[in-house]
Formats: sequence, structure tokens, C-alpha cells
Amino acid sequence: MFKKVLVANRGEIAVRILRACRELGILTVAAYSEVDRSALHVRYADEAYCIGPAPSRDSYLRIDKILEVAHRSEADAIHPGYGFLAERSDFAEACERAGIVFIGPKPSAIAAMGDKAVARATVQKAGVPVVPGTEGEGGLSDEEIIAVAPHIGFPLLIKATAGGGGKGMRVVDHPEGLPGALASARREAEAAFGDGSVYLEKLVAGARHIEIQLLADTHGNVIDLNERECSLQRRHQKIIEEAPSMHVDADLRARMGEVAVKAAQAVQYVNAGTIEFLVDKDNNFYFLEMNTRLQVEHPVTEMVTGVDIVKEQIRIARGRPLRYMQDDIKINGWAIECRITAEDPFDNFMPSTGRITRLAISTGPGVRVDTGVYEGSEITPYYDPLIAKLICWGETRGEAILRMRRALEEFRIIGIKTSIPFHQAMMDSHRFMAGSFDTRFVEERFSLEEETHADPMRVAAIIGTLVAHGEGQKATQVVRAGERDTSNWKWLARWERLQR
Amino acid sequence: MKYVTAVGDQTYVIEINREGEITVDGVTRRADLRSIDGLGTYSLLIDDESHEALVETRGGEIGVLLRGRFYLIRVQDERERRLAESTRGLVAPAGEISIKSPMPGLIVAVRVEPGQGVKKGETLVILESMKMENELKAPRDGKVGVVRVQPRQAVEQGQTLVTLE
Repeated sequence: MFKKVLVANRGEIAVRILRACRELGILTVAAYSEVDRSALHVRYADEAYCIGPAPSRDSYLRIDKILEVAHRSEADAIHPGYGFLAERSDFAEACERAGIVFIGPKPSAIAAMGDKAVARATVQKAGVPVVPGTEGEGGLSDEEIIAVAPHIGFPLLIKATAGGGGKGMRVVDHPEGLPGALASARREAEAAFGDGSVYLEKLVAGARHIEIQLLADTHGNVIDLNERECSLQRRHQKIIEEAPSMHVDADLRARMGEVAVKAAQAVQYVNAGTIEFLVDKDNNFYFLEMNTRLQVEHPVTEMVTGVDIVKEQIRIARGRPLRYMQDDIKINGWAIECRITAEDPFDNFMPSTGRITRLAISTGPGVRVDTGVYEGSEITPYYDPLIAKLICWGETRGEAILRMRRALEEFRIIGIKTSIPFHQAMMDSHRFMAGSFDTRFVEERFSLEEETHADPMRVAAIIGTLVAHGEGQKATQVVRAGERDTSNWKWLARWERLQR
Repeated sequence: MKYVTAVGDQTYVIEINREGEITVDGVTRRADLRSIDGLGTYSLLIDDESHEALVETRGGEIGVLLRGRFYLIRVQDERERRLAESTRGLVAPAGEISIKSPMPGLIVAVRVEPGQGVKKGETLVILESMKMENELKAPRDGKVGVVRVQPRQAVEQGQTLVTLE
């Protein structure tokens, strides 16, 4: 096994990976930016090294500095987590050249799947269905895109070639909206990935976003860990995921799994990866993209399959054969994940920064919380707003939802605004309970009104009033104590006589 | 002691009669509030109903986190209430308002010019923060007064970006 692993990431995922290493008895190294000195991953790791100022491009995206830390700490492997350098083939290559194991796929597979146009062409050749869109390899100019758009048809999607996580992505309903959306998508892609290239894709109406988790070892074995339902999205960011999906029956599950394995084999894929599909109303499914890394929502799969995906990643990277055959993978119960972000759901999900003054994390049966924050920690504007993932397991989907409601109530956080009220409203929504939602549900048909639950509101008013009353009394005492010539007790007795 | 307590657009008349007894909108109940940790965790028993909340005082308001929801509460005693009522009507209902940056970030685009009329909900400025573009919209109809920022400018939290007349 590896002796020491460097985690080139921050936040909840860095902590998640550090935990896996600790369970495997591997020493750990954290890398951190100047504002993250007090972050959980720094405190959790066995060693920690500062890699530069707060902005990602000066720290978490600096390949040279991360490799330097790997050498100094004598780490023999690097886990990139998700985001940052996780899908940069040049990083995987640099690790290889430096003689450090990159815990992930080969650079060639990252490159093939990372360029979405190449990815589509590659899997299409292997017989995997794809969504209509611009097939061109490399970036098209604005003129070329505007010319080709009518052939694909509206509504359509603009996506960043280097992208992921919804950054640089726009929905365009009418031709008139295309130039403006193109400009802002390119800007956002440029800022997030340093590459403003974009491509177009047909928007499949009523589509659900369902993905298949894969594990592949260096000995040619590829298995799938079944699907995750990720249709609940906002601005193309997933917000709630579950496993399994209500919309996938045994037959569709088997077909999707088989196709996903084929797509991975088309690029000689190794390690954990995910194939994202769009599934239409008639159960036709289309390849969207492959994420050549660990996913944010991997815990829901872990909860229902019992497989620790991060530990498997490390074993695979060490050259071990998979410990599971396809037939070993069973689905036990249901798991749901709510992404708790530092965003205000009552104000258009505006990011909320500041200090977390109070924090109490949900516990109890069937509840898992993956987080990188703590009471007193500061949410800075430099990184992703994800502060915690709340995952609940239930024997059935119904039990998982009820447990999630309970766990959302228990999750107490003050100091910043969070998306918890959004999740509560979603868990209460009939559409969610019935499972009748698609990828545009949150934005088009779900409204989060400032609900007036009369009872809790009255209770909150009483608590506030009693606290204010108590503080007022205290203030009066402090101010007036010196002015009186006798003790409080005598004064009180006198006052009471007057009242008779 | 009588208080008028506002939560959002709801108001409650809450009277603290004596230790352990309150009257809420005319109904008298037993109330026992205990500070659990001296840090803002409170337990409240109303009659025999049990509630637990996190409380945070911020300026003139009290924040109460109860069952996953956060309520901002304004408590006025009778004297404050009378004062507030007597000054009402002296303040113009719609004056100039400042659109401030809700967080530190980078201005990506400014969509309006001084003197331009805008509708409620119209995008004024696009601010990049936490790697996402965020559209700051007009909270009401009005005319743009001053534009204090330009694209590529870094801004701090609370910095005035645009004023609306």
C-alpha cells in the first residue's frame, strides 16, 4: 500500500479522502492556501503545507507547488478530489513524470473525456448514443456557433468545453438570446477553467439526469455500482441526489450499466468514474459526459452498495484487482443527499459569506454528514459554496425522506445563510415525494415562498421576546444599581409594598 | 411588561405577566425559557410543549433558528412602539436606495447607466463570487442615480455599487 498520500484539495472532499487514508493506515499530507490555515483538512492531516494565496489559480491550481509539496513530504501518491486539478490531464501527466502515483485514470483517458467533443465522438464509435450537438473538436467561433444553432434547434445548451459543475453553461430558448449567453458563458468558462471554448447541445425536454458510477482496475475489470438520480439541479448544479432512481427499473439499469461500461472501455478507463446520461420520458438514454474523477454525490452510492469508493480508488491506484464482481453489487435501501451550500434560497441563491458562529451537525441512525466546516470557521468568497453534504439512508425512499426531514431540522447553523430551507421545502413537496421531476423542475416549477408556518413562527416570536425581556432586565439592573442607596432586596421590598 | 413582536409581516402582542407566565395575543400560558450553554442555545417549555432554539442577537434584531428555519425578530416595548408610531409618516416612503455588494467579489458587467429608468427585477450589475456569476437586480422600479463601479473592479462586502432614485 502507499505510505503517504497528498490530498490536493480542500473542504469536505479533502476531509473525506483523509478519512479513507486514515482507515487504510496511510499517512496524509494536506496542501492549503493562506486563508485555509485553520481549515479542517489542515488540522486533520498528518502534515500540511501552504501553497500560496487564496485565489485558486495561485494555490490549489498550482501544479508546480503541489508537486513540490509531494517531493518535500515524500508522498508516493496524490488524490485530486473533485474540481481544481482533478480533471486536468497535464496534472496527471506531471505526476507520472515526477514518479508520483495519480489516484485516478491515465492522462490519455482524462484528455479524451475532458474534451467533450472528443468524448462524444469516442463513445459514439463504441456504440453509445449521444445527444445531438456540435461535434467539432476544438472551440468554434461565435459566428460558427450562431450559424449551426438553428440546425440543432432551440431550446439548446451552451456548455464549456473544459467544463463541469455548471460553470460556463447557459440555456438558450430563442435565437435572439444566443449572442448574450455566449459572451457570458465564455467569460465564466474563462474565469473558472482558463479556457473560454464552448459547444452547443440540444436540450432534451422533460429529461432526467441519471448517472452510472463505475469502478475499473488496471487488470481490465470494469463494474458499475448502479445509478444515481441527479435531476434536481439549479443553474446546472446538482442540489439533491439519490440512489437508486425511481425511474430506473431492472431492465433499464442493466442496459445503462452495460453501455456505461462500454463507454469507459472505449478510453481504457481505470479507477472510479461516472457516466452521465440524459434519460427522456420513453427511457431513451443519451451519453452526456464522463466525469473522470470522484463525484460530489458519491456517498449515496456508498450508502446503498456498501462499497467505500474512495478506498477502492486508492487500492486500484496501487494496482490491486477489484474486490467485487458485477454480481456482488446489490442495492440495499435508499439514500438521499442534500447539498448544503452557503447560499440564500430566499434571495435567488445569492452566496453568503461570513463566520459560522454556531454549528450543530445532525446525527443519529441512518445519517451521514460530510463537511469541511466547523463552529467558528469563515466562509470566504474564494471557493465553492458547498459547506456540507447531508446524506440519509432509509430502508425505503419514504423512510429516507422522513429521515432527511428530521436531519435537516437537527442541522443548526447560524452566522451565514444556507440552502437548508430550500431542502426542507423540497422534502415537503408532493412533486418530490412522488418523484415527478426533471432537470428543469427546480427552476421552472418549484417556488420557495417565504412560508408562514404559523406555529413555529409564534414560538420563535415568544423566544425572541423572552430573550429581549431578559436582556432588558439585565441592562436596567446594571445601569441603575449604583444609583440606588440601598440594596436591591430592600428596594424590591419597598417597591412591592407600593404595589399593594 | 407588554411587547409588540414582529416576525416578517406578522406581529404578536406578548405580555410577560410575571416569572413563568405570558399572554400571547390574549391567551395566557406558562412559559419557561432556559439558557442551556450561555452561548445562545435555549430550551423553551410553553405549557408542556418543548422547543429548542439557537438565538443570536444582531444589532436591534434577534435571530432565532428553530427547526431548521431562521427567523429575524424585532421586539418593541410599548414606549418604543409609541415612539415609532409618532414618527411614522414623517419619513418619505421611497427615497434613494443603495445597491450594495452582498459579498466580496469581482464586477463582471455593469448593465445600467446613470439616469436610466429600471424596472423591479432588472439586472443592474453582474458580480462574480464563489466562481459563479451573480446578477444583482433592482429591488423596485426607479431611476439609476450613480454608478460607482466598473467591470473588472474588485469590490468589498457592503460597498455601494449603484444607487436608485
